[in-house]
Amino acid sequence: MIRVLIVCSWGMSTSLLVESMLEEAGKEGIELSIEALSAGEYAGRVEDCDVVLIAPQIRHLRKSIEKLAASEHKPVALIEPFHYATMNGRAVLEQVLRLLADAREGKSEA
Amino acid sequence: MSVIIERSSAWFERYMVPPLGALASSVYLQAVRDAFIIFTLPLILAGSLFLIVANPPIKALADLLAPYQQAILVPFNLSFGLMALFLAFGVAYSLAQYRRTEPVQPGVLAMVVFLVASMPVTDLNNLSLGEVLPYLGGQGLLVGILVGILTTEVMRFFRGSRFTIRLPKSVPPNVTRAFEALVPAVLLIALVWSIEWFVSSHTFVGTDGKIHQLTLPILLMRAFQPLVFVQDSYPAALLEIVLMMLLWSVGIHGMNVVTAIALPFWLSTLTANATSGGHGIVTEPFFHIFAHLGGSGATWPLVIYMLRSRSAQLRTVGKVALGPAIFNINEPVTFGVPMALNPLMMVPFVLVPMVIVTINYFVFAVGLVHVPVVMQPFTVPVGISGFVASGGDIKASLLQFFDLGVSALIYYPFFKAWERVLVEREEAASQAEEKQARPLAAVR
Repeated sequence: MIRVLIVCSWGMSTSLLVESMLEEAGKEGIELSIEALSAGEYAGRVEDCDVVLIAPQIRHLRKSIEKLAASEHKPVALIEPFHYATMNGRAVLEQVLRLLADAREGKSEA
Repeated sequence: MSVIIERSSAWFERYMVPPLGALASSVYLQAVRDAFIIFTLPLILAGSLFLIVANPPIKALADLLAPYQQAILVPFNLSFGLMALFLAFGVAYSLAQYRRTEPVQPGVLAMVVFLVASMPVTDLNNLSLGEVLPYLGGQGLLVGILVGILTTEVMRFFRGSRFTIRLPKSVPPNVTRAFEALVPAVLLIALVWSIEWFVSSHTFVGTDGKIHQLTLPILLMRAFQPLVFVQDSYPAALLEIVLMMLLWSVGIHGMNVVTAIALPFWLSTLTANATSGGHGIVTEPFFHIFAHLGGSGATWPLVIYMLRSRSAQLRTVGKVALGPAIFNINEPVTFGVPMALNPLMMVPFVLVPMVIVTINYFVFAVGLVHVPVVMQPFTVPVGISGFVASGGDIKASLLQFFDLGVSALIYYPFFKAWERVLVEREEAASQAEEKQARPLAAVR
């Protein structure tokens, strides 16, 4: 089971992306759970996830989110704006898998 | 063309994003905004339903219900009408979450402190609810926000400080927490109560000609009256929409940030419109319902253009953007066209809402269309939302469609220019691919 935490703004548009990601994961037979939370709520949930993703409309908070994720040793990345825009669940799922693979090899995401 | 666009977008990334980002990441603004969305908005929306029932748009029905109007308004008064009380809870709660401390205690304490701040210090048996009710709602929002922030910060200061009551480690954590909260709670209540006592030893003559005791919210509202007045003006509306769109232009949720600053003013103006026949224009629906048609930047027409675009990228975005656009969600447009950090599209992205706000302001000011009275979720589709927001004026829906026409006209030339850039890029990319593909084919 891969647990993804998406930090976003009001969650309206992120819910569309979440649906698409779950659908793609289902096709690939990957067990996936996704939680989308606002910048105020996410902090307490970082320790219970495997990967943290940041929605593009709150990338001004990127540094503080990265810091928190790093303190919990969780891989973190910004969702590519174009993939977010086109609700490309497949591309974002690939990003998640890549992040996890990198983390396992002990590389840090640049 | 492409080179200029890339260079100036790097410039924006470097010089525009940091200051706007700093504004948007203020923890107080974020707490106010979250409090509003999570705690007050549902009450406002639920209450508004009763407001609509009490004031139906059809005259015959309105006459029929007239004797029961006050009865129908009871749920409205106790939800919408108490929003400042719940905002105080929400601000304290959300701020505590950002500060990563336990949120419920400061939330509950903030409600108590808010009530103490809002009631005159007097024999409560002689106080009528109707007298204080306005200050627990639209007129008390500033006090609610200030109390919320103060409560969480004071509790945070005391937690772990040497003034906290300490209990042995063997005591269960829930009990320890209750005692930890005791000192700041007593101090805060006593502080606000003594200020309120001092303030309410003064009186003022109300609009009804009677003498009333002064309270903190009344004092604050009087102090801010000029600001409320200034905020409900064309220059203020223009300033607010420009700030929203500049933020969105660098990809930051603009409505979110501006809402946190302007909300107390929007809501007190809207409350006056809804309950005492006010004619205020610059309110939350003025932006969400009448300006951001199809999402921030009034991007509905762009979605239609994209569906038939010559650029594959724009066609893809158009298809994805169509569904959300119906519900005024346009992140696909903002990040897919993209509008954000795209110097070419940023021009109409800021300009279109400015023009729409200008048109709407004057249409409302001369009374062509009824001013906004009802708040609703921003996801209500264009056409329906105008009718509801204006309390049942069909001309409000027509205004929305007129604004969409204006948006379509202004966006068109910019859209065509951007489409040309993308088509060139796509052609260059596919040629490069063909060149690469050839040797591979030869190998096979």
